[in-house]
Amino acid sequence: MRTSPSVRQQRPVNMAGVGFRRWAQALSKGKGSGISALLSGFRAASGSSKDTVLGPVPKTPEEMAAAAKKYNLRVEDYEPYPDKGEGFGDYPKLADRSQHERDPWYKWDHPDLRRNWGEPMHWNFDMYIRNRVDTSPSPVAWGTMCKQLFGFIGFMLFMFYIGEEFKSYQPVAPKQYPYNNLYLEKGGDPEKQPEEVKNYEI
Amino acid sequence: MADYREAPLATRPKTLDPNEYFNVSKEYRRAEEERAAIRVNLKKQYQMQLNNPHRKELIEDPALTRWVHARANPYLYFKPTFKTSLLGLLFGVVPLFGLYFIFKTDRDRKEAQIKAGTLERKFSLSS
Repeated sequence: MRTSPSVRQQRPVNMAGVGFRRWAQALSKGKGSGISALLSGFRAASGSSKDTVLGPVPKTPEEMAAAAKKYNLRVEDYEPYPDKGEGFGDYPKLADRSQHERDPWYKWDHPDLRRNWGEPMHWNFDMYIRNRVDTSPSPVAWGTMCKQLFGFIGFMLFMFYIGEEFKSYQPVAPKQYPYNNLYLEKGGDPEKQPEEVKNYEI
Repeated sequence: MADYREAPLATRPKTLDPNEYFNVSKEYRRAEEERAAIRVNLKKQYQMQLNNPHRKELIEDPALTRWVHARANPYLYFKPTFKTSLLGLLFGVVPLFGLYFIFKTDRDRKEAQIKAGTLERKFSLSS
């Protein structure tokens, strides 16, 4: 029994029973026989329909217009990725701007993502969220920043390498011990006379 | 607006872009109106679903579904061209075999040195 959307009844319905009943009815009315009759006949209403599925790269203007409509874009704004076999299909190529750059004061439908419902998402949307990559303009040019940072690091590495090659510290010699190089302390025989060790030169 | 300067780390907002107000051609106006119409339509759909008192389920976003489907099926429209095969080799095959050979030769050399007794047992934390 169909219930109109505005009047919902509180009577519980056993969905499994309804499904089974409908399946038996379809089976009895169906024309096929055997396994094909059991399996075919009707498909579920859930699952993706054709307008939520990625399509092939559009070539003709009609395909472009259909794809633009699918993605809620103007036909002039819609630009697919060039067909290099990279697997993009007909997904639109949007500007590579991160969500950091969007207006923070506008009332977005999803304020943390700075996005409205139904708006086409960038292919790398999960990279451009506000916790991750930021494409906002930098105070100094990008090239200048790269040169300064890598120049400094490279210079410091080079200087440390030179320092390793040409070491400069006070000259040292091995430590000299008294009492004939500690003959008795090192376990020498007390009866035997050790050889004289001279660690100095006058 | 004439003396507005951008914040150092932010893009200039669209509402403060002088090209929105001066030298506006008819085509630009038409384009902006069409974009606004699409936006308003989507806003209306969302608000109708959001404020529907009889709604019990989550509001499904078809743009999100499309994005998820696109990202989850990269090989639907994949074609093995020169560039894609090269990238596949570079990222998938070369590190596998390359790292195997690098580690194997290094370990074998170290094992031979240990067996011959020539390995220098240093006290440094690395190697």
